[in-house]
Amino acid sequence: MIDEQLTEEGERPVAGRSPSDSERGWLGALGVIAALVAIAVAGRLMFDFLKDTDANRLLVVVVAIVLGVGGVLALFWAMDRAVDLLPRRFRESVRPYVFIGPAIVILSVFLIYPVINTIIISLKDATGQEWVGLDNYEFVFTDESMLRSMRNTAGWIIFVPLFAVSVGLLFATLADRLRHGESLAKSLIFLPMAISFVGAAVTFRLIYSFRPQGFGTNIGLLNSIMIGLGKEPVPWLSERPWNNLLLMVIMVWIQTGFAMVVLSAAIKSIPDEIIEAARIDGASEFQVFKRIIVPSIFPTIVVVTTYMVINALKVFDIVFVMGNPEANQTEVIAERMMRWFFLSNNDGRGAAIAVVLFIAILPVMVWNVRQFREQEKIR
Amino acid sequence: MKLRRWLVVLMALTLFAAACGDDDGGDDSSSAGSTGGSTEGSTEGATGGELENTGNVNLLSAGEPEETAAYQEIFDELINSEVDYHAEVEAAGNFEEQFQIRAEGGTLDLAAVPQPGAIPNLVDSGSLVSLEDLGFDIDELNGLLGESFVALGEYNGAHYGIPTNINLKSMVWYPKAAFDAAGYTVPETWDELIALSEQIKADGSTPWCVGFQSEGSTGWPATDWMEDIMLRTAGPDVYDEWVAHEIPFNDEAVAHAAEVFGEVMFADGFVLGGAASTPDIAFGDAPGPMFDDPPGCWLHRQATFINSFFPEGTVAGEDYDWFPLPPIDQEGILYAGELTVVGTSGNRPEVVDFLNRFLGEEVQCAMGAVVASSRISPNVNVGPECYANDILADASAILTDALESGSGRFDASDLMPAEVGAGSFWTGMIEYMKSGPDSLTGVLDDIENSWPT
Repeated sequence: MIDEQLTEEGERPVAGRSPSDSERGWLGALGVIAALVAIAVAGRLMFDFLKDTDANRLLVVVVAIVLGVGGVLALFWAMDRAVDLLPRRFRESVRPYVFIGPAIVILSVFLIYPVINTIIISLKDATGQEWVGLDNYEFVFTDESMLRSMRNTAGWIIFVPLFAVSVGLLFATLADRLRHGESLAKSLIFLPMAISFVGAAVTFRLIYSFRPQGFGTNIGLLNSIMIGLGKEPVPWLSERPWNNLLLMVIMVWIQTGFAMVVLSAAIKSIPDEIIEAARIDGASEFQVFKRIIVPSIFPTIVVVTTYMVINALKVFDIVFVMGNPEANQTEVIAERMMRWFFLSNNDGRGAAIAVVLFIAILPVMVWNVRQFREQEKIR
Repeated sequence: MKLRRWLVVLMALTLFAAACGDDDGGDDSSSAGSTGGSTEGSTEGATGGELENTGNVNLLSAGEPEETAAYQEIFDELINSEVDYHAEVEAAGNFEEQFQIRAEGGTLDLAAVPQPGAIPNLVDSGSLVSLEDLGFDIDELNGLLGESFVALGEYNGAHYGIPTNINLKSMVWYPKAAFDAAGYTVPETWDELIALSEQIKADGSTPWCVGFQSEGSTGWPATDWMEDIMLRTAGPDVYDEWVAHEIPFNDEAVAHAAEVFGEVMFADGFVLGGAASTPDIAFGDAPGPMFDDPPGCWLHRQATFINSFFPEGTVAGEDYDWFPLPPIDQEGILYAGELTVVGTSGNRPEVVDFLNRFLGEEVQCAMGAVVASSRISPNVNVGPECYANDILADASAILTDALESGSGRFDASDLMPAEVGAGSFWTGMIEYMKSGPDSLTGVLDDIENSWPT
């Protein structure tokens, strides 16, 4: 509908009217200005109404929808008319920016501004009152606990994608061969994906649960096995540095299903002819896997892996829920950020950690987008 | 002419932006001016509050949902039924974060803060309203709640927190029936306590049950031990200097307290499971073995609330009882509690009215009867008959004495900066437990270095 309107509006000036060009310009300009002001005023009034908490909820919802959808439509229409007033040779080069403009404004407000502001806060003291230069960054790169959090995060980045993707790939390949029950097998492995990190962490707390001698029976799965083997129960979550690995297992458990589903879809899109041809040529199953399946789905593997890397960089909930990270030495960067920003009320340090995390994620994002584009090109 | 068209478009955009952008200003003037009409039922002097009555008072609480549900019932019955606003208590599982976020965001009415150490930062950022500005009479509050407790909310000459809850930390619990049957007697001095521990060990059992695990806050029960001992070895004055960082954390006095603590923890056969496993025993599970038959341990040092973790069906005064942790070189009683602070959105007359009623004897007495919370009122006029059981009544008597004699002190870790009191102090004590007596110097140095400058 908008498209139709567009061409219609676009052609209207060509039809020509009797008043002189300049007269028409002024009238049109006034009309557009009036329309924009009207939209703004109406929007403002409705916004005030939305702020009124005593109003009927249903009515508020209706107004919000009308304001959101109608307001945006009206805005685009008026902006489009404004573009029509431009000299023709500029019109079509300006129009795309008018349409993309609101998106850019929203992006700036919700992404670019916070990034810049975080960088500014990271150069100030705990309460954001005074400039402290690079002190907060010095803390980030010298504090023992911070350095440990970076080492641990590096461990997460390596371990989680490695295991989640390779196990996911293994399942995807094997499930592909199943004559019956492929969807059931895949559903079971995908199931943990539906559980939140915190929920999964709580579940694993029970698996790792520990009670020393004299404090009742051990209800933890792992310690039951240890006792069954005739060994002493182990306080798993404070056995450093292995407790880090036990936390990573939780994320692998959640993410493997995702890797499997995406990789499975990629495997299924490999043309049967290629695989059949290889088999006729006498390739073993392992050779088919290594020489055909993996190279064919390599771009997908890369995208899944980078997704996992980003997730591992951002991990917070699992570490936060499973005991005192400092005491267990399981700190990770995102957890440190939360700790300094909200628990220790040191905005400067929290922001500095956030900036470091942001910079660490950036190259992975760039690589991810680039890979995605290449993959799209192939298609 | 083309230029003019460009200008028109530019003008249109500017106008549009201007129309959108004037959200600030204007609104404030209309809502200023106190109505003050709703304070008719107020029992005490304060009637302040600059903003208008919105009909709601929200109290953010760090309490467990069962506790806050019980409080809500009391508020409904004794406050909401009589006034033209609705008071609600909200349990926040992540209280520390929520409190900070709301206070700084200006959406906080009231919060019952267990860590008064958080107050100065929020005052500096203009997120809290002082009691003086709300019209409270500090002298009156001092008389009602004890001067040293009220003083915890003082910053830059103004008061920002009203004590609304207190609990006793210096308690040693024991399985009374088995304890009496074994012929043990309650120790009056520290030496007697150690002798009793030796006696229990000689009888083939283990004296102490200790557990420091508390998920993300693992370590806090260990800091309580430290504070209790510090107060008794160094005395209240040095304790105050320690809290205010007038002596360093690795001072000799602190090291001595930690050594005395270590003498209990690291003594062979004194602690069930050994000191190194205490950071992995949940503080709520720790007293459990006291109720085994025969008891797995006989002594457990923990605050008033711990009996809600005791096995179901155990009776106070029969199955278990408590004695105050005995003095060492000096007398001392450690307590904790909550200071209720007022956020910028709480600067309203009905919030002041609510606070007066909340502090009043009727509500405080009713809250003392809530079994789930083992709450003691800081209001000196609330008598022993208000409490759910003798344990709380006895504890309240000891607290009143300690506050009056000046030997009572507030939990140090809750007063220290969060980096220490909710960070390196916890971690340091855990490291001490895990690595043994030789790690003490390094642990105290680490805590000292983490103190924000």
